[in-house]
Order: sequence, then C-alpha cells, then structure tokens
Amino acid sequence: MSLGGFILKNALRNKRRSFLTAGSVAISMFLFVTLQVALREMTIPPEDVSASLRIAVRNKISLANTLPARQLPAISRLPGVAVITPFTFFGGKFKDDDSLGFAQFGVDPEKFLRLFGEAKIPADQLAEWKKTRDSCIVGKDTAKRYGLKIGDRVTLVGTIFPVDLELKIAGIYEGTIDDTNMWFHHKYLDEAMNNWGKVGMWWLKAENAGVVPDLLRRINAEFASTSAEVRAETERAFQMSFVSMWGNISLLINSICTVVVFTLALVTASTMSMAIRERFRELAVLKALGFRRRQLVACILAESLGLALAGALIGVGGAAILFSSGKFSFFPVFELTPRIAGLAFLIGGLLGVIAMLAPARSVSRMSVVQGLKTLD
Amino acid sequence: MNRIVSIRELSKIYGAGETEVRALDKVSLDIESGEFLALMGPSGSGKSTLLHIIAGIDRPTEGECQVQGVDVAQLNESELADWRNQNVGFIFQTFNLIPVLTAAENVELPLLLTGLATARRREMVATALDLVGLSDRSRHLPGQLSGGQEQRVAIARAIVTDPSLIVADEPTGNLDAHSAEGVLEILRALSCEVQKTVIMVTHDPRAASQGTRSLHLEKGRLLPELRDQRSAL
Repeated sequence: MSLGGFILKNALRNKRRSFLTAGSVAISMFLFVTLQVALREMTIPPEDVSASLRIAVRNKISLANTLPARQLPAISRLPGVAVITPFTFFGGKFKDDDSLGFAQFGVDPEKFLRLFGEAKIPADQLAEWKKTRDSCIVGKDTAKRYGLKIGDRVTLVGTIFPVDLELKIAGIYEGTIDDTNMWFHHKYLDEAMNNWGKVGMWWLKAENAGVVPDLLRRINAEFASTSAEVRAETERAFQMSFVSMWGNISLLINSICTVVVFTLALVTASTMSMAIRERFRELAVLKALGFRRRQLVACILAESLGLALAGALIGVGGAAILFSSGKFSFFPVFELTPRIAGLAFLIGGLLGVIAMLAPARSVSRMSVVQGLKTLD
Repeated sequence: MNRIVSIRELSKIYGAGETEVRALDKVSLDIESGEFLALMGPSGSGKSTLLHIIAGIDRPTEGECQVQGVDVAQLNESELADWRNQNVGFIFQTFNLIPVLTAAENVELPLLLTGLATARRREMVATALDLVGLSDRSRHLPGQLSGGQEQRVAIARAIVTDPSLIVADEPTGNLDAHSAEGVLEILRALSCEVQKTVIMVTHDPRAASQGTRSLHLEKGRLLPELRDQRSAL
C-alpha cells in the first residue's frame, strides 16, 4: 500500500458522502462554466481585422425600428465607404423548431463577401447564390444540425414579417465567428413584402480604420432631423450595446457564480469537517504511530483536493462534452475556453483547500492523548 | 540487563489553582530491557498518564523521563514523532485499526514512514502477521475479524518496525478470556523470547500476573512493588 492508496481509501470510505460531495462540486462547476461561457459568448468582441472596419447603422430610436431603403445612396456616397449592404433580420421559424434555431438575414449577395470576408464559400456556390434570387447560403453548423444539402428547398415561416420565405440552398459557408446563420437576397424579402422599401439596418465597411471616426460622425449627421435618424457605430460598439439590452448581465452572472461558489465552499467545508471529525481517533493513532503533523495535514489536503478536483473534472468535462456536441446552438459559438476551464479547476482546487482548513487546524492542534479519548 | 526506561521525580499536573489535578506525583521508576511490566491501579490513579509519557505521546509537568537514554520531554513534536515511529509500538484497548484497510495494510502503516521499498515492507508485514498467527487473515478487513484477531493485528502493527519498547493500554480490556489469554501469550513471548520491553496498563490481576513485574499506582504515586511476580507464582 502506498500513501496515495491510503489517502484514496480514506477519501472513498463513505462512498455515498464522497459521491455527493464530488457531485455537488461537479454540478456547481458545470453551472459556473456554463454561465461563464454564456457571458463570454455575449460579450466577446469581434477579433478579425474586417471587424474593425465594419460599421452598423441602425434606427436611432431602437433596433426594432426599421430604416427607409432610400438612405442607401446617401450613405454610399459618403467618403470612406468601401461597401454597404442592407441587413434585415427575418427571424423565421424553420420546420417545427419552436426556438429560432438559427438567425436569417436579408443582405445584398454582391456585397456580402466584401463585407464579411472571413466567410469561406466555394466560388461556384457563391455564383449560384448571386444569380438565383430565391436562394440562400447557410452556415456549416446549421447545415449539419438540420442535415441540409445544396439544392434543398427550405421554408422559413415568418414570425416578425407576415410572409413565409421559400429558399433554395445555393451554398454552405464556414470560417466566421458564427457559422449558424442563413443569408438570402434582401430583394427577395422586399418583393415578398410587396416592395417594402425598408431595411432593418445598414452594414458597411470603411476603406480604412483611419476614416472610421469621421465616417460615423458623417452618417449620423446625414440623417439628423429626418424622420429616420440613425445611429452608426462600430461592430464592437454595436455588439456591446446589443448586450446592454439584457441589463447588466455581466454583474448578474458573476453574482450568481459568486453565490454558487460561496455556498459550495460552505457545503464542502462542512462535509470535510464532518468526515475528519469522525476519524479523530484514527488520526490520533496515526500520530502515535509516528505520522507528523504536516504529514496528516497533507493527507487531509490531498483527500479534500482530490474530491474537489474530481468534482471539477466531472463538471468541466461534462460541460466540454455537452458543448462540443453542438446541442447549445442558442449561442453562436458555445466554446469552453482553456481560460474558463482553468478558472473552474482553480476554483475547485481552492474549494478543496478552503474545505480542509478547519479540519486541518483541529488535527494540528489535537494531542494524541486527546484524540485517543475521542468517542467513535 | 540494560535499563531502557529511567524516570525521576516525574509529575503531571492538569489544570491550575482550585481545579488542579495531580495525575502523577513525583514518580521514580526504572525499567529494564526485556521486562514485561504491568501497571495497575484504580481509575484515575495515573497509570495511563505514566504510560503515555513513557511512550512520548504526553509530556510531564516536572521531572525527567529517559527512554533508551533519550529525554523524551526535550524532543520537539517532529523529533518525537520520528522517535515514536522507530522506538515504540502501541497497543490500545479498542484496537484502533483503520476500518478501510486490510489487516496487512494496517500493519504496514508505520512502515509507510520509513522509506523502505514496497517488497521489503511486505516482507516485514508478513513476518509480523506470522508472529501473531494471522498470516491467513492478511487480506481481511478489521470488520471481518474477531476481537482477539483484531488485537493480534494491532500487536503485529506494534512490532512491525521492531521497536524496543511496546506499550499496551488495557490490551485485554475488550476481549473474552480466551482471546485475552492469546494476546497475553504473545506479549509474554515478545518479552521472554525476543527481549522486547513491554509495559502494560491493566485492571485485570490475572493479566498483570503474566508480567515479570507489577507496579501499583494510587493517586499518582507508586506503591511498593512485587518483583518477579510470575516466577513467584
């Protein structure tokens, strides 16, 4: 028998309690990881070079208000605009999926790749999309999730718009931060809505980063005091303002995480104290046999850390497996990053250390004689 | 015979002022190597306290306690732990085996601190279990053993490091007469045949009669002793 084997046998001596302790850590760490991943997904800034040049133009009143299509020429001729496209969220339901399983946007296919250059799509598929008015391209994640193939016809049932759209899949793209979206011809939506003449937003790309501040100011000024005042902002600013609609979600999520971890620390510490108190006499015997104080503390630490880290491993591992299975498509990329996983393990480790502090202190201060007098 | 324990004017006082309790009161005692000493006395007479101080798990308030020439009261806690591991074997009334470890693993516990190779440890464990007649129970958990067998495992644990001193606190207190006889026989053999010094605290005159000497304590003081009681009987 090794010292490690001895510690393991002690840790598992009350299997139900060990399982419940590790289980509570596992569930809490799963919750922690899920919340942190969700928070990251909501607040992650776009990192590619194109994103720094992209500008979102929306109705100044709110994102839900539309903009007149006639604004296009006025924005296009502003100095510094490289490319511009209408950008309208359709929000249709696909098949019997009650949730909006993926987002659909009406855009100008001729401008799409110039604006979102990170999207990778074979040239023949892009050409087919551009030339076919009722076609669309779909992200590879959504294509995989619904088993969609090129040539398939899909129907999007309008939930915001009073029309349904029948679309033919012309291509499948990948390489963006969110390979779940579907893109179709804005003109097709316009026609379906009997020449609607409006857009949800404008998305444009500046010629270079230097012109962005001036361009933002010019766009806002162009439509000031009109019936459709706009708010132009960078992609990052737009994303952050979008997130701000959720309220201070970051504070809320971090508060929940703190409460979860604090509660768990109390539960784990209480369990470890109980487990050690039950073995006071045995620990006194070990002291009598020659185990030093620091060796006993190390054994308790190893036991406590082992249970906490096993729980963290189950929780984080479970989250990693679940998120990588693609079942969480609510967020574009539900990715468990090494930083979040590391943080969860660090918290698991700290829980293990915190949980052993009180029992270790008691054992350190216990004399052999006093320990031997402890009742079983 | 070599003197293994030398105690001079040893006192142990608990509490202070009105609540002061003098558990040991200026006790002086010499114990020779290979002796099987029985410490007797009523509850609260100080016999267990004396045993604990000799074994290095308690410290005296006054006086000197030398074991194999080492003043155990002068050792710090870590030194004392090492000293106990190398020099003292413990046997308790309630056996105090670890319930999740097999008999062999319980016996191996003190050896985990020695740095010996696994094969050597197993060899020593097998020898110790063989000495107490439990080779065939090495894989049993304490819960699967009788009281007498548990105490014999505890004896194997006490002797596995080959200590010169074995302290036993009421080793037969929880056993039936037959099992108690078996345990006493082993302790006697350790004293007579391999020259281990055994100090046993007991209430039982029959158990005490197995020793080479009996000492009686009362109110923390040693009473005049009966020498070589076993040979006298």
